[in-house]
Amino acid sequence: MSNYRYWLGGAFVLAALALIPTSGSAYTTTLLFTMLISYTLAQSWDWVGGEAGYINLAHFAFYGIGAYAFCLSLLNGIPIALCFVIAVVVTSIVALVVSFPLFRLRGDYFAFATLAILPLTELLAFNFDFTGGADGVVLPPKYVLFEAYYLAIGLVGLTAIATVWLIRTRFGYALKAIRNDEEAAEICGIRIFPAKSGVLIMSAGFASLAGALQGWQLSYIDPTTVFGLDVALIPIAMALLGGSGLLWGAVVGVIILSLFNQLLIVSLPILQTAIFGLLLLLIGRYMPGGLLRSGIIRNNRWIGFLGREHDRFVKATAGVTMTDGLPLPKQSDMKGQPVLECRNLTMAFGGNVAVDNISLTINAGEIVGLVGTNGSGKTTLFNCISKVFEQKSGDIIFLGQNLAGARRDDASKLGIGRTFQIPQPFSDLTVAENIAMPLMYRGAVSASLPDALGLATQFAEYVGLTDHLSARADSLNLQQKKALELARALACRPRLLLVDEVASGLTPMEVRNFVNHIRELRDNYGITIIWVEHIFSALAQVVDRVIVMEQGSIIADGPLDDVVRDERVLRTYLGSAAPEAV
Amino acid sequence: MDASIIIQIALGGILLGGLYAMVAFGLSLIYGVARILNFAHGTLLAVGGVAASAIFTATAWNPLLIMALLVPVLGLFGYVFYDKLLQPLTKRSHFEYTVGSVLVTVGALLILSDVAAWIAGPAPRNIPLRFEAMEFGDVIVSTTQAWILGGIIVFTIVLHFYIKKSWFGRAMRAVTQDHTGATICGVQADRVHALTFAFGSGIVAIAAVLYTMLFPVDPYMGFSLTVKAFTIIILGGIGNLVGALIAGIFLGLAEGFTSFFWATQWAPAISIVLLLVILVIFPQGFGWRKSK
Repeated sequence: MSNYRYWLGGAFVLAALALIPTSGSAYTTTLLFTMLISYTLAQSWDWVGGEAGYINLAHFAFYGIGAYAFCLSLLNGIPIALCFVIAVVVTSIVALVVSFPLFRLRGDYFAFATLAILPLTELLAFNFDFTGGADGVVLPPKYVLFEAYYLAIGLVGLTAIATVWLIRTRFGYALKAIRNDEEAAEICGIRIFPAKSGVLIMSAGFASLAGALQGWQLSYIDPTTVFGLDVALIPIAMALLGGSGLLWGAVVGVIILSLFNQLLIVSLPILQTAIFGLLLLLIGRYMPGGLLRSGIIRNNRWIGFLGREHDRFVKATAGVTMTDGLPLPKQSDMKGQPVLECRNLTMAFGGNVAVDNISLTINAGEIVGLVGTNGSGKTTLFNCISKVFEQKSGDIIFLGQNLAGARRDDASKLGIGRTFQIPQPFSDLTVAENIAMPLMYRGAVSASLPDALGLATQFAEYVGLTDHLSARADSLNLQQKKALELARALACRPRLLLVDEVASGLTPMEVRNFVNHIRELRDNYGITIIWVEHIFSALAQVVDRVIVMEQGSIIADGPLDDVVRDERVLRTYLGSAAPEAV
Repeated sequence: MDASIIIQIALGGILLGGLYAMVAFGLSLIYGVARILNFAHGTLLAVGGVAASAIFTATAWNPLLIMALLVPVLGLFGYVFYDKLLQPLTKRSHFEYTVGSVLVTVGALLILSDVAAWIAGPAPRNIPLRFEAMEFGDVIVSTTQAWILGGIIVFTIVLHFYIKKSWFGRAMRAVTQDHTGATICGVQADRVHALTFAFGSGIVAIAAVLYTMLFPVDPYMGFSLTVKAFTIIILGGIGNLVGALIAGIFLGLAEGFTSFFWATQWAPAISIVLLLVILVIFPQGFGWRKSK
């Protein structure tokens, strides 16, 4: 796939658009201008909606704020170039400020809140004096269609470049991880708030320029035209009609819906809004995934390329290796020194104390089995160590560093890797992309996207997923997902690996393989491992010692042979017949 | 300041808030059961109110009769709306389900209000029915207000016990708490979803007639009602009717007193600001009984 052809094609289209005003009518130019503005809005909405998975119903508010900031500045005699800058700066600041409360919310609650913002901005514009109230802002009459049109072409070019950039960069992948699972994204070392806030500001900045251009071209704005609900959802519908998250989605959606809307205006005197509503309804009902994802388009020889998903745009670097076997750095030898210390660790949910005043030390190079009845607090302990939960009291000291108040991505960057008991892969990304994620986000040793994808193949091979590298994670079965969990945790290049019931449900041979992996990870790469598992025969082959938990406390800690004879362990966990089973 | 004016405003606020709460009941049940943000919900009240007013103008029927006519019509609309347009989306991925349901309900909103405006005209209208006034000292209460207030209270109590005790009420609560679990226990979740849409829309029909007897309605006012109803269910707790009633009355009073003491044009901002503030302080929603 040759890149220059895309750039050439894009430049050609923009050049052709630039010629329109010299040959076409003012009507054509105005129509095209509207389409260019719509594309900017639809595409910039999709950066937040399609990439990061946050349905922002307030996107149009940024467009309106940009329009107002621009028009009011221009009216006050500020040079026009500066007016555009003011529009972007004001809107970006608003976006930054609202991102703090908004991104505390997830899913539907985020949609609730953004939905409320739009009528609020409309109300403010209506009621304030400096916005001109219901009369809006009227600029001195001046014919600027062509100037605005050329600027809009430039804006569309920038929007397209930004979109391509998002597909190919770490930032874009951080958003894709966030869309799928924020907890897992943080475990991979991604700092999620700056990424979310950043993409919202970026999206708001582009929307504000679209608003500024539209206001300039119309030389008139009022609250309803820039904040009204019926107009506000059109760009969103355009992005969704084409296909959210696809490179060509917004382009196709904008062309179809704009032409349709134009047809309505020309040919239908009444019920335009109703017909448009009907179209939205039909899109929602029949193709919320987008036109370009339908089989008719994808299987077509000539236009099939329009429906390509993001993972088809990036090629993995071939033959990247760091060492033989896994691309893991050999850890400095600190055998016998403590890696992890928990002191008086307590975690409670309401009145339910899940981890009760636990103190333990794990030394470098150890493989420790962590066992206990279901509900005894093993996974909660893991969640505290990997900072999924902040402990109620007590200290966690990892490599001499106190983890109090640390974020999940900090824990990951310090070298704590973990698997989830119930696999949490990034569902709509491929196996290779899943594994590449932490490889791109480990601070000083982070790899570029193509390199990370290249390295990912080795991790996939290690856990036996080579044949599924380009399969979507949600198409894997449970065992494959667990293997993927392990590969992703290893790709975090951990010094301490927390393994949560990866072997349960495996066949005896698979268990044996897995045990060998665990041993190899310690022997060859110096990784310290805590392994939660109920399969005692598997633990017996590899662990140095076993810690037994019961009701949030440690009831036994020592070599496996001693622990299985411990009175309390027999009574609460193993049952009396157990010693023969080992 | 005359105390009788305050009482008068308070009464108006309580009535308005009670009607908001009735809109919120349906939305709350629908959101709880189907996890769909039904943006067209408030528009049903607007359109129902316009229809009620048009019927009254043409026939001068008793409002109770109009109510009896509108409840099954809107109920059936709700059932078909879910069954034909939203239910098929449940088979899709979560993101597609969410955006799909947003587009469907927003599309329905636009269609309903535009068609209603085309048929009945965009101007505000009401049911110009006046009972005689009752005087308590300086406070004047129309019998309409008294009837409607009584109606809202009785209705809330009946609804509360219906949802607590009846088979359908329990089925709705089961599906709200755990969809799959309810299905395994023999609740036909899809049917419960559709019936909940019918039920919620039917409640809106009752609210629409009462609303139109007190305040003017126009085809385009629906969306702001939906935002208010969202505020109320988040304030009162999803699926909590008593909480919704209290939240609704609180909102109605706040709007009434804002209009009187400060400025009418800022009253609509209260519900929006309240919604944002609650969401920021309680990111998982608020209320003494959480659905999950």
